[in-house]
Amino acid sequence: MARLDLADVGHSYVPDAAEERWALKPLRLTFEDARTYALVGPSGCGKSTLLGILSGLVTPSRGRVLFDGADVTDLPTKARNIAQVFQFPVIYRSMTVYDNLAFPLRCRRWDRARIDAKVRQVAEALDLGGRLRQQARRLTADDKQLISLGRGLVRDDVAALLMDEPLTTIDPQLKFTLRRKIREITEQFRPTVIYVTHDQYEAMSFAQELLVMDGGRVVQQGTPEQLFEAPSSTYVGWFIGSPPMNFLTVEHAREGLSLGGRPLAAAWDAPQVTARPQVGIRPEYVRIVTEPGANTFPARLRGVQDHGAQRVLEVDLAGQPVRAKVPREDGVPGVEEFLVHLPRTKILPYVDGRLATLP
Amino acid sequence: MPRLYPAFKYTVIALWACFVAGPFMWAATTSFKDANAVQGGATYLPWLQYEPTATGWRNIFGGSGGVDVLGPFLNSALVTVAASAISLVLGSLAAYGLSRFRYRAGFVKNSDIVFFFVSQRIMPPVVLVVPFFYLLQVAGLLDTVPGLVIVTVALLLPIAVWVMVDFFNGIPREIDEMAMLDGCNPLTAFTRAILPNSLPGLTVAAMFCAVFGWNDFFFAFRLTFTEIQTLPQAIVALNSSIPPWWTLSAAALFGISPLVLLAIWVERYLSKGNLSGAIR
Amino acid sequence: MTLHATGLSLAADGVDHLKEVTATFRPGRLHTVIGRTLAGKTTLLRVLAGLQRVDSGSLTRDGADFLRTPVWRRDTAMVYQQFINYPHLDVRDNVAFPLRRAGLAREEIERRVEQSLARVGLAEFKERRPSQLSGGQQQRVAIARALAREASILLFDEPFANLDYKLREQLREEFKTLFSDQGDAVVIYTTTDPAEAMMLGDVVLVMHEGRIVQAGAPHEVFDRPATTTVARIVNDPPMNVFPGRIDGDLITVAGLPAGGVPGHLAGLADGAYQFGLRATDVGLAQSGVEGEVTFVEISGSETFVHAVAGQTPFVMQIEGIHDVALGEQVFMRLRPERLFAFDEEGALVRSPACETVLAGGR
Repeated sequence: MARLDLADVGHSYVPDAAEERWALKPLRLTFEDARTYALVGPSGCGKSTLLGILSGLVTPSRGRVLFDGADVTDLPTKARNIAQVFQFPVIYRSMTVYDNLAFPLRCRRWDRARIDAKVRQVAEALDLGGRLRQQARRLTADDKQLISLGRGLVRDDVAALLMDEPLTTIDPQLKFTLRRKIREITEQFRPTVIYVTHDQYEAMSFAQELLVMDGGRVVQQGTPEQLFEAPSSTYVGWFIGSPPMNFLTVEHAREGLSLGGRPLAAAWDAPQVTARPQVGIRPEYVRIVTEPGANTFPARLRGVQDHGAQRVLEVDLAGQPVRAKVPREDGVPGVEEFLVHLPRTKILPYVDGRLATLP
Repeated sequence: MPRLYPAFKYTVIALWACFVAGPFMWAATTSFKDANAVQGGATYLPWLQYEPTATGWRNIFGGSGGVDVLGPFLNSALVTVAASAISLVLGSLAAYGLSRFRYRAGFVKNSDIVFFFVSQRIMPPVVLVVPFFYLLQVAGLLDTVPGLVIVTVALLLPIAVWVMVDFFNGIPREIDEMAMLDGCNPLTAFTRAILPNSLPGLTVAAMFCAVFGWNDFFFAFRLTFTEIQTLPQAIVALNSSIPPWWTLSAAALFGISPLVLLAIWVERYLSKGNLSGAIR
Repeated sequence: MTLHATGLSLAADGVDHLKEVTATFRPGRLHTVIGRTLAGKTTLLRVLAGLQRVDSGSLTRDGADFLRTPVWRRDTAMVYQQFINYPHLDVRDNVAFPLRRAGLAREEIERRVEQSLARVGLAEFKERRPSQLSGGQQQRVAIARALAREASILLFDEPFANLDYKLREQLREEFKTLFSDQGDAVVIYTTTDPAEAMMLGDVVLVMHEGRIVQAGAPHEVFDRPATTTVARIVNDPPMNVFPGRIDGDLITVAGLPAGGVPGHLAGLADGAYQFGLRATDVGLAQSGVEGEVTFVEISGSETFVHAVAGQTPFVMQIEGIHDVALGEQVFMRLRPERLFAFDEEGALVRSPACETVLAGGR
């Protein structure tokens, strides 16, 4: 497996378009060896273009693509030594499971004993060991998708494994098991994986690092935990997490910030800007309290969503909507007006939709 | 090596094109020749190798020494259009039923019924012609346009059913269900929700019907005699002991022209993307 | 208008799709039917719509037989899991289709189409064909068509299951407002997602293997699941269920050292039980039950950690997104005060105390 570098790579499907309109704005990225990455974002965000550039389907309008330092920008897909898994399983229906897995190795003229050993090793990992003689067309959709994956894993020389929404056509009930299986296998074989999906759950459960894309840019790269705790923009705060992050417009006060006329203490210094800053806080960290104290604000209950083990309280705080996620056993406030506590260390500053200073 | 491949590819394509276009070239040039030019060996370039005349073409439209193909042309057109239309209506109704409902009579299931339809085209036509002759005779329809239409419907219906069953199977059943939930009975669900989505399938089926109906010679030859004649019959009738090749060529080209026009029209329709992608 | 089903059964190829289903669906209420895939939810909707026959049982509408009423006279609208619209019609005609079939006046059709498209936020897409819309928009068209009809029965078969989660989150929140003023319509909504069932439903019906295994107000079903099966279905991740014993005032669970019986289980007879504990009531701790992490999932804003202690698998739900490595050794804290006790057959014996609720419940 290899380390992949994109040096100043950008792409426009329309020639001579202004850079602002490129499908992928020029960027610099490194995918480290043996790590798993997920590209997430809505349709049209540029994730498919990025994947196409890595696979060789798209020649970038600008920049170089390096695999382990070697320039592969002008090489076609088959010269790049990548394995791909697509939305729809790609299998040879008439062949057995064994022949499907052995096929790429036979094409490379490996000797029989070596093929046999490798196929059995991979089949074992895929839990297909007992079904090697079965016709591939008789398998269920998720097993077929495992074979598509397995055909990438049998080759020793693969630079990277690219997966393009591999769970889209899988029945919801089977998704969980297949996702788990793919995760286990990647832990075992440790390939460099780039996984494209529009499903945030899938991305966060699968990858060590996420690249959130929007409008042809990578708006944030980080571990799921980093994206959750410190979204780089209000967009990421909305996109990651359910319910989304709360954003409240605050005022500059004599010392620091204020919210609804009361001081708001934070773990950072107020951003020195003239624009009105916003603060972001996750619904998980908003607390309903009875005792007044620092960072407590009077609030009114507007609605309750019962999610089962949790409730989402829709609250009106100084005229702004805030959601609080509370455990079921905490109940619902029995009075119309109550206090909401915004923990000092969990508040983040945003200016013009971007995270202002990291605490 | 990589440079040789395109050369090889285009050579093969060019050879094949000549093979396909050759007979047309031959017919086209011959239709503008007179008797002397035809006897004078293979020549292809008008004015240079032979003097073109329009005798052959004049002959087929009632000129002296020829025949009138307009009458047979109209007969053929009438039979083809009527039989295709009837086949499409009956065929899509039958196909819809076969696609949406399950029938079972003993071991006979839906797929067997579809195969039964298609199997009629597997039999050699000779097997069918005697019973057809007898049936038309009993009904007094021998040598009539309605008689020929009925026989042609019997020939075209299997094609229509076969094409449409496959097409209807590709339309999600939920669309019929939704139409019924939206207040349609099964028949209006078919006419208002399914048929409008079936234009591509109907076009393909109609084309097959038109081609097979137009080109039929055998049944027309055996089931009509003096009163009516179809175009293929009229063309073959020209083929006497010393065939007037120029007239024959002109008639043949005239005979295939409607199909060529149809093919061009359908091809345009296809390339506009109207056929594919209507569903999803 | 009330729909009443009695003993509906349907079997095919030796599988019970519906088994003795008896239920009452009342006007002006939103009923959610929750169950796993193939539990019979879709079959139930199809039977109510008249798209599928049953082997036995009866279905009445305001006391009159409804089983023999043909589909097109049932005044029923349905939204499918797949985005089903008429491909040959644009958005406006798609919504107008049932209204034209019903023979409404032109102006009335125009008014309802405008109104319902505005409500689902598609007013600007009237001229588009379904194939030119995104999945979420296509499903909005289907919802608009159901809305415009003002039908007396509205069926939704996992309408948001095929959408990605931000959209699901958004449409789910809109849904309740959209259908809150459908007057006397019977609304039935199927889902596999407990949060969705709880959030939307006035009444929750739990289905399993073709049967309705429990029905009631959301908090009743959630706080007092009748069986271990229900407990698993109405919790996501499914409730942890493991064997245990009560001997006097000592309790043993999952082969762990005995502890004191928590207050709410006091007075239970000695013997073997199955105990249940929600994923939210098992947490990571500095000490406690030792287990090995087998899988980690992230769902929205929660981390689900799957771990095995001895032979017993546990799943924990932890707020926020956390990085937990597979194979890591962790300590789990089980909260005894939150234990559900079921008998050996799986029927509920005792549930933990319910919290104080502002409205409804105790």
